[in-house]
Amino acid sequence: MLLKKAILVLAVVSLLAIDAVPAAASAPYDSYTYNYYEDGVRIPAPFLPDRSVSGADLGVGDFVDPNDMYVTVDGQIYILDSGNRRIISLDKNWRLIREIAVFDNNGKEDGFANPGGIFVTEDKRIYVADTERQRIVVLTNEGDLVNIIENPASDILPRDFKFVPLKVTVDKANRVFVVVRGVFEGLMQFDENGAFIGYVGTINLTQNLWDKMWRLVATDAQKRQMRLYIPTEFVSVDIDQKGFVYSTNIDLETQKPVKRLNPSGQDVLKRFGRHPVVGDVRYRIFGNNAGPSKLVDIKVLGDGMYTVLDSFRGRLFTYNDEGELLYVFGGKGTQLGTFKTPVAVERVGDKLAVLDRGKNSIAVFKPTAFGRSVHQAVRLQYNGNDAESVKMWKEALRMNANYDIAYIGIGKAMLMEKKNKEALEYFKLGMQRKYYSVAYKRYRREVMKEYFGTFLTVLMAAVAALAAFRLTKRGRTRRAERREAGLY
Amino acid sequence: MKQDFIKFPLHVILRPFDGFWDMKYEAKGKMRVALSVLFLVVITMILQKQYAGFLVNFNDPRYLNSLNDLQYIVLPFFLWCIANWSITTLMEGEGNFKEIVMASAYAMAPLILIYLPTTFLSRFMAAEETAFYYLLNSIAVIWFLFLLFVGIMTVHQYTAAKTVLTMVLSVVAMGIIVFLGTLAYSMIMQMYWFVIDIYRELIFRA
Repeated sequence: MLLKKAILVLAVVSLLAIDAVPAAASAPYDSYTYNYYEDGVRIPAPFLPDRSVSGADLGVGDFVDPNDMYVTVDGQIYILDSGNRRIISLDKNWRLIREIAVFDNNGKEDGFANPGGIFVTEDKRIYVADTERQRIVVLTNEGDLVNIIENPASDILPRDFKFVPLKVTVDKANRVFVVVRGVFEGLMQFDENGAFIGYVGTINLTQNLWDKMWRLVATDAQKRQMRLYIPTEFVSVDIDQKGFVYSTNIDLETQKPVKRLNPSGQDVLKRFGRHPVVGDVRYRIFGNNAGPSKLVDIKVLGDGMYTVLDSFRGRLFTYNDEGELLYVFGGKGTQLGTFKTPVAVERVGDKLAVLDRGKNSIAVFKPTAFGRSVHQAVRLQYNGNDAESVKMWKEALRMNANYDIAYIGIGKAMLMEKKNKEALEYFKLGMQRKYYSVAYKRYRREVMKEYFGTFLTVLMAAVAALAAFRLTKRGRTRRAERREAGLY
Repeated sequence: MKQDFIKFPLHVILRPFDGFWDMKYEAKGKMRVALSVLFLVVITMILQKQYAGFLVNFNDPRYLNSLNDLQYIVLPFFLWCIANWSITTLMEGEGNFKEIVMASAYAMAPLILIYLPTTFLSRFMAAEETAFYYLLNSIAVIWFLFLLFVGIMTVHQYTAAKTVLTMVLSVVAMGIIVFLGTLAYSMIMQMYWFVIDIYRELIFRA
């Protein structure tokens, strides 16, 4: 009887144990990162799907083709429900605050037409890129009109210039950066009064040798038939705390689809990772699902980290400030946590929210223990707190011993603390040759300093011993010679 | 022993014109020395791939296979010898097959002499110093090619231009041999499967 009970208890316990395993691996997508050899290496999911938020869930009716969303630092959420021509404003617990569909424009009722982008400043000014009405509408948080930016005029703009804004971002000085359709010169920049200042972040073009040779031999008629060499347009912008503009563009040939523009418009993104910042580095060339990532949105997560959204395969790529890939997750599908047509990614506290135009809903992801420790480690390291970051990296390594970034992170911390020998080991594990060399040089000097004295003493002693031996030997032979000569 | 294995190979690589002459006409070269050199080159390459310093070692350890090194050195070596022999026989070369093997093998001695120390030294190099590693290894290869050139020239009693020509032709011949080999292999496999299929057909029908 007792035995039976024991077996029953055991069976129940084992059932519980079985249940626990799939719960831990319930992500409907693969999470991975790239190792030194460009192989995708699976990692524990950094984020797991938390919930899905649709218009019906919020009690405002279904979204229709939402194009963009924005979340302020204090967690207020703004969804640009383009098909319904409205902005939905939520608090950080996803409760409805208000809907903005119409605003008062000099006594007349005015509204949006298929708006493409939204941005909200720290003092809660709402900037909407009202694409079809060819203007940028600036509203207060309550929905009252502040300003309208339209019809930019400048000598460098053609007379029949069509201003079709797609995305918008605003820096601390209220300068407005706009992604405009059909503009290849860069982002359009406006001052705080809405006057056009100029372009920033022009995408440079380089013709390859083959194309140049073809153009050389082609006739004029053939040249007219050829593809025009124009740079691609930007597709999204975001701005970080320091006022640097992050942007993405979809160009299937460039190695630099992600940019970080300094105030004078130069690209200053650090690309010190072992792979370029392009999303997927290994993909099929032909057939199904072939081609590079299409990075349609970028979100600065703070502490140097940023996430880019690939709408082609529905994946999110997170990089640190050095341009090293931290992790990739997400995928296409119909389950919670997979996407149909993802268009925007935002950060809500420590969670991530992805707006899906195809599903007309928002997927919210919450970080796992692994994701949290990685974030924590990157944050600590970015802020110079190396000793603490080592703890978090080790925590990440405990969950994933194949995580190269963690080894490199620990190595960097060790290098800072002058533990050169340990740093060597970690850089080797992380396959980081550049830092390995630095650590090795220091370690070598250390060893030489330590043993140089001993080495020299031994050398001198050996030389002295040899000299003494020679002298005595010579003395002995000389004495022997003299004795033979009968001098004694 | 010391004369055969150390003194004479050193003489050959340092004074190649004299050395290869002695090898051919004074019968100072030994086949067993040549094969030992070949074997040592294989060992050297394996050691280099395995133990070269982290900064210069780009081999993926998951795919290191010493047997591959063996077949990628020994097979091309004999392929070269056969190709060179076939070409030079037609082009009035005076060397026989044994002499070609010996000349080619002795020419590889610098690879051992330079690769082994650089492999060891590379373990104590920082990134800036790896340039010396690559420089020395390149010198080894150039030295080897020069010795091969002199060796072939002496063994066959050719002029310099003719030597270059035959060496290029030998490389072409190597390609042809590989091509014919694959062709023959695939044809034999076809025949093999044909017989097997007929056998199976008979078995199943009976």
